[in-house]
Parts: sequence; C-alpha cells; structure tokens
Amino acid sequence: MNLRIRLERRMHQRWWYSLLAPTSAIVAALCVGAVFLAVKGFDPVAVYRALFEASFTSLYGITDSLSVATPLIMTGLAAGIAFRMNLFNIGAEGQLYAGAIAGSWAGIALGKNLPPVLAVTAVLVLSVLGGMLFALPVAAFKAYLGTNEIITSLMLTFVGLYLMRFLIYGSTSFWRDPAVTNFPQGKKIANAAWLPLFGSYRTGWGLVLVVLVAFAVWALVKYTKVGYDMSVVGSSPAAARYAGIPSKRVVLGALLLSGGLGGLAGGVEVASRAHALDPNGLALGLGFSGIVVAALARYHPLGIIVVAVFLGGLRNAGAALQSMPGQRVPAEVSLMLQGAILLFAIGAEIFVRYRLHLVRRPAVTK
Amino acid sequence: MNNSAFVLMLAASMVAATPIALAALGELLAERSGVLNLGVEGMMLIGAVVAFQTGTKTGNLWVALLVGSLAGAALSAVHAVLTITLRASQIVTGLSLTIFGTGLATFVGKSIEGMPLAVDFRPTPWGPLADLPVIGPVLFKQDPIVYATIVLGFVIAFYLRRTRTGLSLRSVGESPATADSMGIPVALFRYIHVLLGGLLAGAAGAYLVLGQVPSWSQESTTGGLGWIALALVVFASWQPVRLLLGAFLFGFSRQLNFFLQGQGVAVPAELLSMLPYLLTIIVLVVWGSRDLRRRVGAPDALGIAYVRDER
Repeated sequence: MNLRIRLERRMHQRWWYSLLAPTSAIVAALCVGAVFLAVKGFDPVAVYRALFEASFTSLYGITDSLSVATPLIMTGLAAGIAFRMNLFNIGAEGQLYAGAIAGSWAGIALGKNLPPVLAVTAVLVLSVLGGMLFALPVAAFKAYLGTNEIITSLMLTFVGLYLMRFLIYGSTSFWRDPAVTNFPQGKKIANAAWLPLFGSYRTGWGLVLVVLVAFAVWALVKYTKVGYDMSVVGSSPAAARYAGIPSKRVVLGALLLSGGLGGLAGGVEVASRAHALDPNGLALGLGFSGIVVAALARYHPLGIIVVAVFLGGLRNAGAALQSMPGQRVPAEVSLMLQGAILLFAIGAEIFVRYRLHLVRRPAVTK
Repeated sequence: MNNSAFVLMLAASMVAATPIALAALGELLAERSGVLNLGVEGMMLIGAVVAFQTGTKTGNLWVALLVGSLAGAALSAVHAVLTITLRASQIVTGLSLTIFGTGLATFVGKSIEGMPLAVDFRPTPWGPLADLPVIGPVLFKQDPIVYATIVLGFVIAFYLRRTRTGLSLRSVGESPATADSMGIPVALFRYIHVLLGGLLAGAAGAYLVLGQVPSWSQESTTGGLGWIALALVVFASWQPVRLLLGAFLFGFSRQLNFFLQGQGVAVPAELLSMLPYLLTIIVLVVWGSRDLRRRVGAPDALGIAYVRDER
C-alpha cells in the first residue's frame, strides 16, 4: 500500500461543478436513505415521491416549506457572517432562544399599547438585543481574553435552553400563561405584535423581512468599509494590524452582529409562528441547522436563501410523511435524509475545490 | 445509614457519571489528536439504539455493548474521512453527524420506542466491602461498566503521559507539522483516535440502555448527554483523571435534583441543569486565558486540518 491520496487546489472551477456537487450529494443521500427504508420494509420510491409532493408541488406545500425555511435563512445568516471571518459562533441556537425570550416579552408587555407596526417592530428590535446580549460573553471573551468561542457559544446554547424551559415550566414567570394550569404554556403575545401571514398560507411578512435582511447582509459584506474590515481581519489578522484596523473591535462587532441575527430568528419565529414563548416549538435545532445551511451556501448571504428553502422543504415534508396512507413512515426519515445530504454535500464540496490524485509514495531513503 | 437518601444519591451519581465519562474520554482522545467531533450526541444515540436491538435479539449484554460501540465507531469513521482526508470543516461535519445520527436513530428506533429491554447490567457487591458505611454502596456495589470506565480513565492518563505513542499523539494534536517531520504518521494517528472516540461514544450510548434505563426513547435516552460530554472535556482541560472527577461532579448535579425534590426542597430542575454548562464556561474563561493556556489548555492544532504541502 504505497498509494496515497493527494489533494490539489483547483485553479479554475468550472461553473457546472457547483451544480453537479450538490446534485450528486442529494442523489447519493437518497440512495443511502433508500437502503435504510428498504431494510425497514418501506417502498423508497413511494416515500420519496410523497416527500417531494408534500413540499414542492402544491401552493400550500411550497408556502409551508417557505415558513420552515424562514428561520433557517436567519440562523444561516447568523452563522455565515461569523464563520466567513473564521469566528465559529455555533450558538445561534441559544441566541435564537434569547431573542425569543426578549421578543415575546415585548409582544406581551408592549404589544397591547402600541399600533401594529410599532408593536411588531418592538418585538423584532428586542429580539435582536436579546440575541446580542446572549452573544456578548462569547464576543467579549473572544476579543479580549482569546477564549475559544466554539465552546462558550455551545455552552451558552444550553444555558439558554434551560432558561427558556425555566421561564415556562419551572416558574410562574411573566412569560407563563396563568390561565392554563394543566400543562404550562407561554402567554400569547398581543395580536398587534404578529407578523401577518399571506391569506390562509403559513408564510408571510416574516419571509419578506428575512430575505430583506439577507440582502442587507450581502450589501454590508460586499460594499461597506465595515464588511471590508471584517474580511481582512478574518483572512489575515496580521494584515489587519498593519492596516490599522482595530481587530478586537471588529471581532467583537462581528460576533455581536451574528448574535443579533440569531436573536432576530427567534423574534421572527415568535411574531409569525409561535406567538408565545414556546420551549418545545422553538427548540427544533434551527440554529444548528443554520450553520450547515451557511456552510453549504459557502457563507454567501444569498446562497443561504436557496439552501434554506431546500432544507426547509425537506423538514416540512417530515410531518406530511407520517400521514401517508398505507404505510406509516416516521417523520424522522426527513431528518435522516437531511443529515445524509449534508454529509455528502460536505464531501462533494471538496471535489469542487480540489482535484484528487492517487500518488505512489516515493521510496523513503534514510 | 447506607440506605439514606444521600448515600443512595452518591451511588446513583456514579452511574449517572459513567456514560458522560465514557463519551468524554473518547472525545478527549479525538481532540488530543487535533480533531473536534461535535457528533457525540449522534454517535451516542446510534450506539444506544443498536445496543438495544442487539440486546433484544441476542440476550447477551456484552455482545450488545460491543455492537453498540462499533456502531458509534462506524459513524465516527464518516467524520474521520471527511475531516482528515477530505479536510472538511470539523465543526460543520460534526454537527451534520449529530443531525444524521439523531434522524437515523429515531427512524430505526421507532418500532422499539417504549419497549422494555430484558437484560441489563446489574451492580455486583464486593462481599463485605459493600457494607462499609458510605463508600460501600458508592464504590463497592456498582456494575462492571462503572469500574471499567474508571480504569479506562487511568489507562488513558498513563497512555498520554508515560508512553511513546501517547507522546506522539500529543505532538500530533499540538503541532502536526513538527510531528510529521519526526516521521509520525499524522493522518493515521488522527484516524485511530477519532475511531476510538466513536467507539467510546457508542459504548456510552449502549450503557444508557443496558445499564441505566432499559428502554429506548429519542427524547430522553441521551437527553443532551453528548453535549455535556463535550463540555466535560473542556471542563477537565483535556486531562483524563480530572475528567473522571468532573464526570462525578456532573453526574452528581444531575442526581441532586431528584434528591432535593425528595427532601422537599424546591430548586427548579432547569436551573440545576444549567450548572455543568456554566461551570464549563467559568473554567474555560479563568483557566483558558492566554497566559495559562500553554499549561492547561486545548491542543494547539484542535480544529485545524493538517495539509503537508501547505505548511
């Protein structure tokens, strides 16, 4: 065995590679999924057809998929803005909870006394602040003490999760609905603080808002001095120092921005879907999936929209599968497929960027 | 006195600490080689569901433990190929592994949800030693896996500090380029230790159904233990013996909740559950600051793919 694999960076990436890679990843993941489905006695073709029909063929299906995609776009942006600077804030999940806590507070406390537009704005602004506040320890420790942000942001995610559960299940807090006694629930936010939906569909102004934010992030990264500073600090801290860019402040700002976007994901979820602080309905792994969305989109803000819509469709189809006539397919199939597609896509990404060589190892002379 | 609630809680803390310690010891090995694997939760779930099914089919505890561990290792092999050979981001790959593992385990486990498991690990009392006050039930009346885990912690400590291979492993995690120039096969070391990490995570998951609660449920079987294991590695600053002590502390904090409820003290469970994570942050910030990092901190090359030609 004197063969080894060598990777060589491609000088020119052919445009169709970036289409071929995700397509082959999806095909490969569907094949792997088919094996598991067949072993468990399901007909893979029927399951896949049901998946596709549930999410992408009817107007209701598509709009449902978009409503699942909405928070994924937001958490994808949160992860993307930090990851492209090599700042690994993996706590968008926790920042989403913090945003939901702060946003639902605004919706309950301020929503009644404000006109609709202002009430919604209050929810969203508070949720951004909540997310930022939750990212503050991550950002400050990273910028000024050099503490590993991967660990702090991951740990804070669980602090956020238990804080949210505490507020609803563990105490009679402001957020808990006093009228419901058998199973604790969050208090509903005022109607004025809801982000309206389109007619009878499940998606609405939340999606519009999120897409606008994606464009804003894209413009920030591409056209502003702040975006330029961020990319310099991210790619070469030494060059940033030489250019007189205040690296610490840029790191702090980028992580806070990332946290704010994660918080906004929580605010949008509360204002357009949950309408209360709902620990079960909010802890869906949206923050963690957002990281993968961002990575598959290569951290491009507009690419994130496309990837999120696809994954949103997959997640949405899970519920539809369960009601499939004849064979009751568990909803988790869609989670399994999602994971498989992600892993294959990560692998395929490498073939886009590198050329693989099998080389014979030269005989070593000592 | 050995039947007092407090002593029983201490004994239960040992059992609660065991899967956390097993998974964390595995993660410690992987991280010492420079590979962060955030897929612990997924590997544990797969280990648990596979061990449950093997246990039901064969009725043999040890076969179930072995097959569950191998299932964890199989999942970690995916991580190894993607991050070591193909240089994919360790963070993104690890998280995807958890998503895939959770989905697969739930899908496979759907048919066995709520079913009881006929076999489980039982505590074996050490004769008269088990009757000693306090330490009897805590130390001398546990199941074999509890002891195996403690021994394993010390073996890994010895391996890292006193053996040549262990020294090579540390150099691979601290400075792969230097290790490479010394003729140490960096990729091979990383593969082996990532696989060992998966094996132990699978074993931890298997122990959850074979030793703790003999039934399967995606919601409560791991209940985030994989993430606590990740925290524990940091909390113990990558030292195996400290990790064992930390595992007991984390296990204790999980049991404290039941104990306090029994005593009529109402401390919200949610706030107690936060403790391990908060403690980890504090440890990381206090001991992980720049000046001390060289002595107690993370392996220097943690999270970075090693590419010979680009150094």
